Amino acid sequence: MSSTLTPVSQDPVSAERSVRTRKPSFAAWIGYAGIAAVLLLFIFGSPYFLTASNILTILTQASVFGIAGVGLAIVIIAGGDDVLNGGIDLSTGAVAGLSGTVTALAAASGTPGFLAVLYGVLVATAIGIINGISVTLGLRPLLATLATMGVAASLELVFSQNLKIAVTGGFFEAARSSVFLGLPLAAWLMVLVGAVGWWVYSKTSWGVNSYAVGQNPTAARVAGLDPRKYRLVSYVLSSALAGIAGTLLVARLSAAVPGIGTQILLDIILVAYMSMIFSRRRLVSVVGTILAAIFVAALDNGLTLLGVASQWVGAAKGLLILLVLASVTLRGRNNR
Amino acid sequence: MNTTQTLSAPPAPQPLTPPAKGPRKRGTLQASRLVAPATLALILIVFSVLSPVFFSVGNLVGILGQVALLALVAIGLTLVVRAGGIDLSIGVALDLGALASAWLINDGYRAWVAVVGGLLFALAVGLVNALLIVILKIPAFLATLSVWFVGTSVQQLLTGGGAPIYLSAPLVPDGFAVIGRGYFLNIDAAIINAVTIAVLVALLLGITRYGRKLTMAGEQPSAAKISGLRVNALIASAYLLCAVIAGFAGIVLAARSNGYVPGSGQAYLMDAIGAVFIGATISRYGRVSVGGTLIGVVIFGLLDNGLNLIGLSFFFQDLARGLVLLAILLAAVVLGRNQGQSSTGIFAQLRTAKKHISTTGKGNSNS
Repeated sequence: MSSTLTPVSQDPVSAERSVRTRKPSFAAWIGYAGIAAVLLLFIFGSPYFLTASNILTILTQASVFGIAGVGLAIVIIAGGDDVLNGGIDLSTGAVAGLSGTVTALAAASGTPGFLAVLYGVLVATAIGIINGISVTLGLRPLLATLATMGVAASLELVFSQNLKIAVTGGFFEAARSSVFLGLPLAAWLMVLVGAVGWWVYSKTSWGVNSYAVGQNPTAARVAGLDPRKYRLVSYVLSSALAGIAGTLLVARLSAAVPGIGTQILLDIILVAYMSMIFSRRRLVSVVGTILAAIFVAALDNGLTLLGVASQWVGAAKGLLILLVLASVTLRGRNNR
Repeated sequence: MNTTQTLSAPPAPQPLTPPAKGPRKRGTLQASRLVAPATLALILIVFSVLSPVFFSVGNLVGILGQVALLALVAIGLTLVVRAGGIDLSIGVALDLGALASAWLINDGYRAWVAVVGGLLFALAVGLVNALLIVILKIPAFLATLSVWFVGTSVQQLLTGGGAPIYLSAPLVPDGFAVIGRGYFLNIDAAIINAVTIAVLVALLLGITRYGRKLTMAGEQPSAAKISGLRVNALIASAYLLCAVIAGFAGIVLAARSNGYVPGSGQAYLMDAIGAVFIGATISRYGRVSVGGTLIGVVIFGLLDNGLNLIGLSFFFQDLARGLVLLAILLAAVVLGRNQGQSSTGIFAQLRTAKKHISTTGKGNSNS
């Protein structure tokens, strides 16, 4: 733990590299091997998996989970990865749904597309501020965000009256179908969020301090950091990103579908925690979250292409988290 | 970094504060512990004023019958949380219990076979959880989350894509129907079941050696290990017991509804977590208990029923529930902050953490 605190002024990559020079254990590669095996299975199993259009589809599908997942990853970074007492944001899926509904309602009542999206993201941010304040007051994140999850999901029902709200208009069509340098807009947004998140949380003192606050709050406090500051901001960011993801989802589906928030919550959690396997020190990271989102989208896509029945997809995902987590814990044991 | 200055800052207030809070702790009750009962009373009063039928014996007993299943699930969860974990797969255990018992009844087996079969199916979920958490050392939240994923799929596979099982009334033996729909001394059997389990678990946690060990293992795992407790076995037993209780809730549900609908158990999860942690606020140590959990369960039950009676749309129910949960927990934390409390338990830890923050904050501003 002290190793994460002492090099506050250094960048964390060099610290990571010193660990990386160690000889990796066999168990460390189970996660990667699993991913490679799955991807190879899809590549050989379906001729369509590796076509350009399918890859673009996967990236578009990954963008929603990726962007919301980055928000959750930031919460876990600043709150610690102990789920019961550490950072977790259960409201992220419901907030994405609420933001999408607000956007769709605003757009349906004639607001220009950009403003409608702004409204959605602002409502999401408001929920994030409630989360952040509750947590800094001393509430467990699990409970605070459980309560706001209910509030956000219910507000979504109240606003939409449990009806699908169709979205039309040039702005959303452009957001859905415009392609820039070969990549769809949603994928660019994911790349942008990933790049900014990577820069802030791996390259700046804010990011290093956030990791310190999350990993060892006591030591961080002794070093003069105030965990509340980093945590408050992390919840606001998480909800704002979930709000952006929600509007993307609306643009992709051309409608706000009620109840979609609870469906995507599990995928968001999966993606954020799966980022651990891309880190040598089993840390949650922004880049790892984006990679995990792409992999989970590829998994959904590949299983569908192979003609696997939908009820197996959930089981496959559950087993996948278990595989990943087991490999992570095994690796952690060997490195200590 | 003026580490010497900041390092010396945190211990300074500690000799000062205990004498200040010592006498206050002895006589008076902390305000934070009254938040949940006060909310319960407030809900009772508000809805009694708003609706004439709310505060009638028939309605209140009806509410108890409705929350009996949630109470069972929440009591199971209380055990796991007392052991320092969390179980998100509790709905899967409930569903599998209901599935197995409905299946066996459908195939014409006797009532006791169906009950035992349901409990065994649920026990399997607990075994998987215990294996993942105790042996593979996967964090409880994530392990049970993935069991939730897998369990949902397993249900769909076992029922051919999620077809419900409906039991025709003549097929159901009386011995099975009585578990969910029977009446004893004019009291709903579901209430009797919930109260029986509640009393058993409360005694288990409150007066037995096992209960004390489990509490130790949950709150101070390393100290418990050093003092020779078999922490792994204790924690595993909590997940097994929780799954069995949830499976029993599933059997009650199957008997009550004469059938099984896939995925119906997970609806109880969020309310159960909320109820368990509302219950933690009435303890001086922020410790979960069966009594506290039941208060939380009844708060949710009264709220749902009252909102229905005053004719508020279904859409607002989660909103009210979320706001009440947030309000209770926030009030407990904020009220408890200024009071002296023992140094164990979640809320107390959070409070001491906060003192440290404030002291280091001052130390930092000097630099």
